[in-house]
Amino acid sequence: MRLFEFEAKQLFAKHKIPITEGVLCTTPIEVRNAVLNFDGRGILKVQILSGGRAKAGGIKKVESPEEAETVADDLFEETVKGYPVERILVDPLLDIRREYYLGVTINRAKYKIVVIGSPTGGVDIEEFARKNPAKVFKESFEIDERMYSFEAYGIGLQMKFRKEKLNLVSSIIMGLYNVFKAYDCKLAEINPLVETENGLLVAADARISVDDDALFRHPELAEMGIEKRHEEGEMTLREKEAREHGIPYLDLDGKIGMFPGGAGFGIMGNDFVNYFGGKPANFMDSGGGPSPERLAKMLVLLDENPKVKAIFGARFGGISRCDDFAKGVIMFLKDHGLSKPMVMRMTGNNWEEGVRLFDEAKKKNPELFENIEAHGIETPIEQIARRAVELSQEVE
Amino acid sequence: MAILVDKDSRILVQGMTGTAGQFHTKRMLEYGTKIVSGTSPGKGGEVVESIPVFDTVESAIDNTGADTSVIFLPAAFVKEAAIESIWAGIKHVVVVPEHIPIFDMMEIRKEAKRYGSTVLGGNTPGIITPGQANIGIMPDIAFKPGKIGTVSRSGSITYYVADTLTRSGYGETTCVGLGGDPVLGSTFDDILRMFEKDDETEAVVMCGEIGGVYEEIAKDTIKRMKKPVICIIGGIYAPPGKRMGHAGAIVEGSMGTAKSKLKALEDAGAHAARTFLDIPKILEDLNIEPVEKPK
Repeated sequence: MRLFEFEAKQLFAKHKIPITEGVLCTTPIEVRNAVLNFDGRGILKVQILSGGRAKAGGIKKVESPEEAETVADDLFEETVKGYPVERILVDPLLDIRREYYLGVTINRAKYKIVVIGSPTGGVDIEEFARKNPAKVFKESFEIDERMYSFEAYGIGLQMKFRKEKLNLVSSIIMGLYNVFKAYDCKLAEINPLVETENGLLVAADARISVDDDALFRHPELAEMGIEKRHEEGEMTLREKEAREHGIPYLDLDGKIGMFPGGAGFGIMGNDFVNYFGGKPANFMDSGGGPSPERLAKMLVLLDENPKVKAIFGARFGGISRCDDFAKGVIMFLKDHGLSKPMVMRMTGNNWEEGVRLFDEAKKKNPELFENIEAHGIETPIEQIARRAVELSQEVE
Repeated sequence: MAILVDKDSRILVQGMTGTAGQFHTKRMLEYGTKIVSGTSPGKGGEVVESIPVFDTVESAIDNTGADTSVIFLPAAFVKEAAIESIWAGIKHVVVVPEHIPIFDMMEIRKEAKRYGSTVLGGNTPGIITPGQANIGIMPDIAFKPGKIGTVSRSGSITYYVADTLTRSGYGETTCVGLGGDPVLGSTFDDILRMFEKDDETEAVVMCGEIGGVYEEIAKDTIKRMKKPVICIIGGIYAPPGKRMGHAGAIVEGSMGTAKSKLKALEDAGAHAARTFLDIPKILEDLNIEPVEKPK
């Protein structure tokens, strides 16, 4: 989960990493006053949960309080990379002598924490790293290892800091490493780490991603208002509605409504449909052990989507059992009704009970099942996918 | 033979007295899995499905000779439980719960390496050696003893692949779920090496998906293997995912897309399947005979 720049900087400050003396603003007037206090010049940075802000026009240099107000006025009206702008961080302009890069992340292949330092930072760091791999320094640490000051000193040397800056930079390197460890981060990054003309080092930008799964042990983050949040930019109405019901959902361009089990087949089922000449209308994942209510809601989303011409259902019951799946489908048929053709396959844990529930419901209300072609383990899932593609084409 | 677990494996269920622990203990026993004990701190002396519950892993091992553990506990308690097992001498630890904090799984992996244990998960459906032991939550109906090994990051894909192998008459030696969490106790690389050494396994099906680096880092092992590896990768048509900032790009480079994974594995000599039904066709092309007639 990504933090806003201003939040990341608050965490930096707690660990003695020097940050810019920015002011967080929510109105153009506040922006104007902030710039006034910085001797009439400043840099306005939209606070959104996305990188690449400079290239998207979300970072603007201003030369006067009046200009600041006008620019802020525009920024607050806009969306940047699909995100509405609710806050702008106003920083003083820095006289930059040099920009460095410093980052800490996890190397999943090697199960190590890795500290990355580069004598060149800024917006093109990735390209610099590709072209000059030898100049980008990496050092690995075990998960339970601390960083000694001599190690930080060594990293500072590799980043080509001059001798008189090494004490200062090694405390920043250790600070960033400690931030990373203290908050269960996946990423902690200073880019750029600026050396000013008068010799100060300061984190001009800050990026932190924390591990969502470890938030439970960081009440101190919740106290700062840092809680689980969505990182997506503009969502479609259906995506918003799905999210409100805890359903991972994405709208795609096609005509086949995908109603899969877990994420694994949610992803691969979309490939199958493409292989057979169809296009999915969505990606969806029920999550492990979904309730019948959630399953019914998933079907409502598909049935009410005018782009969807046919629905492809698949359930291989593991932790999510077939009886719960059947209950969800039946609940949907009774409460909402199915207006589109649907082909589905159900097998796995508790499939006998799932089939029994279907048969029972069908006996009572056969009309509810008119649009459903139901299969079990005897039919390969590929055949179901092909049939879904056929059905979506027939309807045209 | 099979890998990791068989009919002689002596299983310990950590969190046996919880709802999930009780439910799956019953299911695993019904399959014939040799469950010998459970743990639940403070509930030592209780009994679940006639199996004794102990307070600590150490006492469970002393009294019942457990050598393999399966964990059914909330994510927050998994690190302690897994490391308790590893330190006490458990050889294989199966972590079923999902959303294990990344730092916790890295620490578990480190301790496992130190003491020579294997950890599967988090978010694994478990591991099954058909006809011998079913550890975790996998549905029995998909599996039958045979000659193909499988290793997968996803539960549902494991079931579909095994179902296809079963119906085409090949059957499975062992099916391993690596788990769906972002950092895992074991990698494709680790499991492929074990299958390579297993006498009964004639080929391995490796099921990967978009995201992460575990598929790509298996490529050197695949190159060295004598046994054929068939790979199927989910997410070829998925919209591009998010990257982990500049540091992620610098560390992981171009790894992580379904296409990059497929290319790396095919370049290493793996045979690519697009759908599950391609798998028996590839096996046939490799002149591997089914153990029984296809259904």
